[in-house]
Parts: sequence; structure tokens; C-alpha cells
Amino acid sequence: MAEQKEISLSILKKRWLKFKTLKRGYYSFVILIILYGLSWFLPLLINNRALVVSYEGELFFPVISGYHAGSEFGQDVPGETIYRELKTSWKQEGSENWLLMPPYPYSPYEDITVQGNKMYEAPSDSHWLGTDNTGRDVFARLCYAFNISISFALVLTILNYIIGVIIGGSMGYFGGKFDLFFQRLIEIWSSLPMLFVIIIISSIIRPSFFLLIFIYTIVNWIGMTYLMRAEFYREKSKDYVAAALSMGQTNFKVMFKHILPNSLVPVITYFPFAVVGGISALVGLDYLGFGMPPPTPSWGQMLDVGLQNISKWWMVFAPVSAQFVTLIMVVFIGEAVREAFDPKVYSRLR
Amino acid sequence: MTTYFIRRILLMVPTFLGSTVLIFIILQMAPGGPLERTIQQLQAGAMQQGESIGNVGDVMSGGSTVLPESAMRELKRFYGFDKPIYQRYLIWLGVWPRETKHREVEFSNGVTKVQKNVGRGNYMTLQLDGDRVIVYTEDGVVSDVWKAAIDQEGSKDGVILATIFQTEFSGILTGNLGTSYTYDQPVTEVMAPRFKISVFFGLTGLILSYVVCIPLGIRKALNHGSAFDFLSSVTIFVAYSIPGFALGGVLLVLFGGGSFWDVFPLGGFRSPSEIWEAMTFWEQVKDQLWHAVLPIIAWSIGSFAGLTVLMKNSLLENISQDYIRTAFAKGLQEKRVIWVHAIRNSVIPIASGIGGIIGVVIAGSYLIEKVFDIDGFGKMGFEAIIDRDYPITLGFLVIVVIIRLVANILSDIALATVDPRIRFK
Repeated sequence: MAEQKEISLSILKKRWLKFKTLKRGYYSFVILIILYGLSWFLPLLINNRALVVSYEGELFFPVISGYHAGSEFGQDVPGETIYRELKTSWKQEGSENWLLMPPYPYSPYEDITVQGNKMYEAPSDSHWLGTDNTGRDVFARLCYAFNISISFALVLTILNYIIGVIIGGSMGYFGGKFDLFFQRLIEIWSSLPMLFVIIIISSIIRPSFFLLIFIYTIVNWIGMTYLMRAEFYREKSKDYVAAALSMGQTNFKVMFKHILPNSLVPVITYFPFAVVGGISALVGLDYLGFGMPPPTPSWGQMLDVGLQNISKWWMVFAPVSAQFVTLIMVVFIGEAVREAFDPKVYSRLR
Repeated sequence: MTTYFIRRILLMVPTFLGSTVLIFIILQMAPGGPLERTIQQLQAGAMQQGESIGNVGDVMSGGSTVLPESAMRELKRFYGFDKPIYQRYLIWLGVWPRETKHREVEFSNGVTKVQKNVGRGNYMTLQLDGDRVIVYTEDGVVSDVWKAAIDQEGSKDGVILATIFQTEFSGILTGNLGTSYTYDQPVTEVMAPRFKISVFFGLTGLILSYVVCIPLGIRKALNHGSAFDFLSSVTIFVAYSIPGFALGGVLLVLFGGGSFWDVFPLGGFRSPSEIWEAMTFWEQVKDQLWHAVLPIIAWSIGSFAGLTVLMKNSLLENISQDYIRTAFAKGLQEKRVIWVHAIRNSVIPIASGIGGIIGVVIAGSYLIEKVFDIDGFGKMGFEAIIDRDYPITLGFLVIVVIIRLVANILSDIALATVDPRIRFK
């Protein structure tokens, strides 16, 4: 308790150093940060549009500029250029033109309508994790879905935290009727089966990324309020709050400048587990078909298609493994954060 | 203590009403409800028929079929949409009279008295009296069974349309959850067999996870830091990081005979009833277990990690307490210290979690039911939402809410039972 009172830079630093010593969590943290950072540049890494095309002395950047009809580069196809074929054909001709493809030259959206794509291809050199029921590359979709899942979980958790801190904090700080009212409201709210409520809402309005986050926040802010209410309630009775109030600080300032920094420990230690919850929830919703609108790449949708084609094992294993690896890394981080922020000394029996 | 629980049980009432009002509003405000759906289906049916006949001119207007007005009224009445929403809610609760056995009556221009056959050769006389309609029986007395009302929407051009109906109080408070739109059966009849299936899986999973997790947690705590602790921790992390339904999918691919081993069936609660009925008792037991293995693994995995870690940490915390040191210091056997002193205090948090787990286990596994194609309670609720089968959706949600509220109280009772220090006020 005494330790919690003074979260200054030094104690944060101490905790960070402690976190760094917990290798499993620290390395998971580093890897996840790198992967998530990289995932923002996925169009440059995994895409069916060339990075650079040099055609008759002129340079094109289709990744950035977008659609180029095949005829622009002298390719005889209807619609957009198929850069992979263009590359091989130029090579065979030994032509002066050249193009640079991304390291993994498939897009998560191109299906059998693009020439040369086949359905249900088993994993191979070109399609690392095979293709799905519409001929889309499983690996490409997996990677794009990673970015969406993590972003979803992060935005969701942060939003929930903001609401949870404001409402839960106010409940603990002001108490009285305000507290009582929200307690009843929360009790009603938490007695509802939330995933069903989300499904009801999603079945009415086809959600987009932010709409889905919004819906999920409406039903999911409760968890944080319990924690914050308890924290604020406890901190409120401490001397420094009385001191701040006697010096004429406003309630707002006392709550967010004085009490909040002292109540951050549960907030931070709970964060990774909230992210795990967010990722799992999105997978579940997508699996049921009430998540991201198709054709957004998502693990849940991939799992759904995979389970409909159970003999194509890669279509099930790929999304489950991706989700599993991601979640276990987040859990490792969570465990290490908890250890660093809230160390418990257990005496061993032997 | 007793007063506390009585108060808790009484507090369930406003919570229950609050959550049902919420559910009701969300459902009723939703566009694309059963009314629109039925109209669409009827129109699609009419269009198909029209096409097959080859002459669609008279039923088509502007590309879509228009239902006759009387059919619309009939439909609205059937789904209860002729009443304002608060009345619909109260009717559904069973505290507002529900109108049944509707019959339409027409007062043509200037006519104020009409006879109507209400079945079994009984005739009622309807007398128009201002904007009310009075129903007389054959003996000329005002009927206390049949009532009538003017249908404002349907009345026009001097022709007044009225309905004659009976009323009754019947809603969830009287145990009537209505009739399902899709199954065409009372909701309770649709629910009962599915609920049993879910409870079977839920309880088996619950018991199994307790039987595994508590001893495992104890063993891990006693050997904290050992190789066994480390290895089982790895398993726990794995279990925590893979949602039950995803694990179910993997298990199906591995053991369901798709690409690897053909050990277990692909899904279903048990073999189809024709095969099931021909089996002897022991074959039935075998068949049931054979179908249940994979789903139960998927079912239990969710609580496995949490429960084991909870047991371990709680025991570890107790072991480092002073009273344990005292017990050792006064020369008690290690066995006695652990099993009599420490364990009893360590199961307290486990006991308090039991309510929450019951709530989740019984109602929360439609994902797993979907993966294994088990016709359970969750799947029924999910499909009802998609089919806009409001009676089932509402009934499902009501039962889930009740289970949760009861489970919360159960938690408190369990907590008070295992921990005599706790005094609820």
C-alpha cells in the first residue's frame, strides 16, 4: 500500500526494469510490438500489386497509386494488371521493363476471379498456408487479420478504460445517489447476456470497424468500473485528497490529477487480459458472422469457412494457430506486467 | 444474514424487470422484425407463384406484391404489433389482458347491431355504442367472456370494423412464454429438450473441471517452482490462450475424420433417433459418451486455466500466512497443516466463483454448440435471433437472466457457507 502511494517516474522505471528481467514477457512484448508495427506496412509486404514498375522508361508505383489496367503495361488481361504474370512474362521475353513485387505477392482479397488462382490449394511454396474456399491466400489474410484484431482489441480496451475510469471513478468518488443509480444500472446491464445483445444489434445494422467497437463498448465498459470504483473509493479517504481539496482544487482535478495516477496499478495489470478478451471476442463474433463486414480478413471468418471444409486442415489450423500464438504472447506480457507491478512473495513449502 | 438474502432476492425483481424492459425495447425497435419478414416471405411466395402461372399483372404493383389490408391486420394482430410497446411488454409479462380468439366483425353503413358466430354454434350480438362496442350473449346479457373493440385503422367509408375477442392474463409470470413463430410450438416445449442438452454438457464440464483443477492447483501450490509446476503452467497458458470453440475446431479436424484420425463423430448430441432407439442401454451410454468427449473438452477448457490458477494462488497465499507457521511451530504434521488448516481457507475464492461459472456454463456456450452442431440451448437462442423468432429470443434471454441472477445469489450463499467470518449486511 505504501508503495502505491508514490508512483513517480522512479517507481515506474523500477517496474519497467523488473519487467525487462522477466524474459518470457519481455520478449513477447518486443516481438508483438515489432509485428504490430510491421503490420501497418502490410500493403508493402504482402500484396498483389507491384511496388515499382518500370515500363518503357517510366516508373510506376502501383502499391500507392492503386488501380492500373493491364493494357497500361501492355498486358492482355481484362481489368487490372496481374503483376505476378507480368513479371514472369517480362523475364521470359528478356525485356527492358522490370517490376519489383512485394516479398509475398498475394493480396488478401484476390479470389478465383483473378486468373491463375485456385480454390482449396494445399500449403505450398507459393501459397504458404494454402488458399480458402474462394481462392484467397490464407497466409495473406492471416497477416491482415492480425493487424485488425490487435487494433480492434487495443481501441476497444482503451475506450472501455476511458468510460470505466470516468464512470467507475465518479461512482467511487462521489458515492451516494450517483453511486447507487449506476450500481443498479450496472447490475441490470451485467445480467444481460452481452454477446447476444451484440448479435441482436449487429443483425440489425451491419457493423463497420468503428461501429463494432462502439457496440462492443456499450456492452463492455462494466468490467473496468468495478475496479475503478473500488480504487477511487479507497483513495478518496486518504489525506492527500483532503489536502488537495482544502487547497481549493476542483473535483475534476482531484479525480484525474491526484487520484487517478495512484489508481493505475490495477488498470495497467489488467490491460493485457482485457486485450486478450477483445481479440477473443472479435474472433467469436466473426465466427458467428456478426463481426467485421466481409470480405475483411478475420480469423473468426477463416475459422468458420475452415470448419465448413473440415478436410482442408490448413484452413482451420492457420487461424487457430495465429490466434493462439498472438494470445499466448499477450498472456505472457500480462503475466510479466502483473509480476512487475504487483509482486507477491510466496514462501515455498519445500 | 437471512434478511440479507431476502433483500437480495427482492432486489432481483427490479433488476429482472429492468433487464427485460431493455431486451424488449432493443428487440421491438429493431427493423426487420417478424412482421416485415413474414410480409417479405409472403411476397416472395406470391411472386414465385405468379411467375409459375405466368400472369402476374394483378398481384404486382411497382415490382412488389401488396398484401391485402385484412391480411396485414391479421398479421399485425398475430405478432401483437397493433398495440403500443408498453402494452406489449405488460401483456408479455402477463399483467395486462392478452386478447385471444380474434374474430373480425363488420358494421356496414348505418348498421349498429351485428350477430357473430363465435364457434360451437354460439352467437354473440354486437351493439355499436358511440366508439365502444358492447357484446351481448344470446340471453341478452352483457357477456363477461367476450369483449369487442373498434379497429380504428381498418374502419373507413362509413364501414366500421371491429374485433371480438376473449382476454386472459397470460405471460411469463404465469409461465406462458408464448408460441414460437418458427417451430410453431409453445416456447417452453421448444426449450425443454434443448435446455437439458446444454445442462448435460454444462454440468459434466463443470464437475470435470472442478475434479481436475482443484487437485491440480493444490499439487502445483505444494510443488511451487518445481518441474511439475512449470510444465503444468505451460499447459495452463496454452489452455488460457485458446478459446473453447477454436479448440473444438482443432479437435474436430484432428479426430473427426477429416484429414487425420477418424475417432470421434463430427458432431451432434447423440446418434440420430432412429439409430438411438434401436440401441441397448449400454450401447446408448457408449454412444452418448462417444459424442460427448470432444465437446466436453472444449467446454471445460474455458474454466480450466482460471480455476487451477485461482486454486494454486489461493493456497500459496494461505501457506505464507502466520497461522500456518504457527501450526508448523506447534509440531503438527505437514499433512494436517495443509489439508485441515490451509486447504479449508483456500477453497473460499473457489466457492464464491461457483455461481458465475454455473451461469456461464449453462447459458454461454452457443459457440461450442455451433462448432459441434449440438442442438442445445445456446444454439436455439442464436438461431431465434437470426430468424427473428421473438417469443423464443425473449424466453431465452429471460431464462439466461434468471439463471445469472440466481447464480449470483448462489455465489453469496456458497461464500457464506464456506467462510463463517463473512457477515452480509
